[in-house]
Amino acid sequence: MQRILVALFFLLVPIASFATANVVTTTPIHADLVRKIGGEHVKVESLMRGPENAHNVIPKPSFIIKLRKADLFVHTGLDAEPWVPVLLKSARRDRLLPGGEAYVDLSAGIALKEVPERGELTRAQGDIHVYGNPHYALDPLNGIRMARTIAEALARLDPAHAESFDASYQAFARRMHRLVEQWVARLEPHGRVPVATYHRAWTYFLDRFFLEEVAEVEPKPGIAPGPRHLTECVERMKAEGARIVILTTFSNEKNGQLVAQRAGGRALVLAQEVNALPNVEEYEDIFEHNVEALLAAYRELGL
Amino acid sequence: MARSVSCGVMCIALLGWAGVAGSETGEPPIGALVEEMRSMSARVEALEREREADQDRIRELEDALARWESSSRGGGEADAASGGASRGLVGALGQGNLLNPEITVFGDLGGSLSTDGDDKRFNRFNLREFELDFRAAVAPWVDGALILALGEEIEQEGGEAEIHSHVHIEEGYLNFHTLPYDLALKAGKFRASFGRNNLLHTHDLPQVTRPLAVEAFLGPEGLMTIGGSLSYIVPNPWERYIEVVTEVVNSDGGEESPILGGPNARNPALVSHMKLFEELGDWSSLELGGSFLFGHTSDDTDSRAYLLGLDATYLWRDPSRPDLRSLLLQGELFWGTNDWEPEGGGIDRNRSLGFYGFGQYQFAQNWFAGLRYDYTEFPNLEFHDSDDSEWALSSWISWYLSEFLRLRLEYQHRSFDRFGGGGDQDNLMLQLTFALGAHPAHPYWVNR
Repeated sequence: MQRILVALFFLLVPIASFATANVVTTTPIHADLVRKIGGEHVKVESLMRGPENAHNVIPKPSFIIKLRKADLFVHTGLDAEPWVPVLLKSARRDRLLPGGEAYVDLSAGIALKEVPERGELTRAQGDIHVYGNPHYALDPLNGIRMARTIAEALARLDPAHAESFDASYQAFARRMHRLVEQWVARLEPHGRVPVATYHRAWTYFLDRFFLEEVAEVEPKPGIAPGPRHLTECVERMKAEGARIVILTTFSNEKNGQLVAQRAGGRALVLAQEVNALPNVEEYEDIFEHNVEALLAAYRELGL
Repeated sequence: MARSVSCGVMCIALLGWAGVAGSETGEPPIGALVEEMRSMSARVEALEREREADQDRIRELEDALARWESSSRGGGEADAASGGASRGLVGALGQGNLLNPEITVFGDLGGSLSTDGDDKRFNRFNLREFELDFRAAVAPWVDGALILALGEEIEQEGGEAEIHSHVHIEEGYLNFHTLPYDLALKAGKFRASFGRNNLLHTHDLPQVTRPLAVEAFLGPEGLMTIGGSLSYIVPNPWERYIEVVTEVVNSDGGEESPILGGPNARNPALVSHMKLFEELGDWSSLELGGSFLFGHTSDDTDSRAYLLGLDATYLWRDPSRPDLRSLLLQGELFWGTNDWEPEGGGIDRNRSLGFYGFGQYQFAQNWFAGLRYDYTEFPNLEFHDSDDSEWALSSWISWYLSEFLRLRLEYQHRSFDRFGGGGDQDNLMLQLTFALGAHPAHPYWVNR
């Protein structure tokens, strides 16, 4: 009888499995990756909208309601989203606090660029990021590492579907490897192209896609340029043969256009985020759109 | 890859020959064999891709291991999970310093021109306030904060003005931010949850001056007092943000507390605030609030003060340029009754009303401009008559170099009725605000 009861107990107690895990992310890129890995087993929502600047999102009280229901909270980590800590504390859920089971930091395992040296940790360097450049999602190979972190977090939350998450991750990794090879093959023949950027958001993207930053429209990160710096930027572009100015959707387009025009080139608004521009609806679309826009600019400028 | 494909082609050719032979001898048809070979080739290719992915994964793991080994040796290479940069500093500063509070210093400097030459607070440069802001976690669910304010005040009696320096604790509290049952508890000295503007420190104000009604009802720097504050996020079927805050505090309200009785008044006072927040689509929101205050104006249990407040805040951002264009509208209304003891004895009841409303438009990335209208009567009859009132119209323009440095120019016209007489004042004010240190926290609707 006792054995039967024990057997019944194990039959009746379901394996730890969520019908759908509720995932809240800071950015649409994270939301798209969660959707790709979690598939039908997740319901995901991004707090930030595509065209916004991840550093300056307004932490509205309605975000607190969304966070309180979250089984996982996926974010960029580092100091990229200074609006996050106050939200997590306001949500009053242990699991969301750093170290909690719902807290997923996608910077884990990413090799960061532009980590400041000790003497550079000062606001004299502008609005710098103390742990290094946090725009790592703009290297598609980092996207694979982020997807792995997501797959592992989902597997911890919902072990019954761990195999499904791992299979989705493996398929995503293979697909991204293939796509990166194709994107690189399309840009490689043009050699290393010198460009200017508006904000230091593109470091990882430039390194992956044969672009070399020779000037920045912002004199220091987060500092609006004055007329003298704009002139210096134009001169540096001319000296280095750079004719493209790369902007984000939240850059001051007027300044970007002005610099590009005076340098005899053109300004290019690239997608820094999923949904930042029309038709950029998935993570891969960011790179497809940006590579295509770069190639069109190369053709137009004879590069 | 090329080798496997060429092997496949050879096999298909051989099988083709065999198929021709087989068809003559009654063996399976050539089409089926070719199909089988194609599927085998595809399988080989899939396996090779998997092997490549596995090799990449091994390389990633090796890289991660190398990074971990490097950082554990105290090397400078970054570990992304937020320890990298700090790890290198441990040796230099010692572990104790790493656990020090986050420190921000806010500076708020000003200068003004006024048509009122007799008011010595104007036509000079002012050190409005310096604030030292210390914050740290005390325990996993508990934060502590200490905010010290240092400033200079010009006090004028008759024609003579004197400058007094002051240091005071603006806020100092423990915040139990994650308690069971959706509660949070604050204990210590803090800004009372009455309305919207009262929660702001001077350097965070959207304008150079605090609204006249806030000064008249809650004090020149707002109502800050000592006690406990319990906050509850109300669960509701509509999944809206509804928060109720109830505070039990002293009646003194700091150095100046117009509606409360000061340190000699009977304790405690009660403050309550309810907030509803509604998103109106992705790019705009509306917040509505109601506040209530009850306290005593003296040690007499019959001398009471009641204050009701209503507030509304609307925020819109341009969907195509959310960082570059925005509109903020805000209004607050105060209505209070408070008992006071006239010279002839007994208790009289004074009723007073105040309100303000402003609109601020962001017309470029770092530029904001706005207009505010103020009207107030005065609950505190120590310096005012019950018929006194004042109104003002202010316009301003703010420029931000970054969130750490801001310049603001404001013009204000004030008109007042005082003790049966009246007067006007036109002031032009310049404000320079800066922050040293950590990224400071601030309410969602305050631009930095």
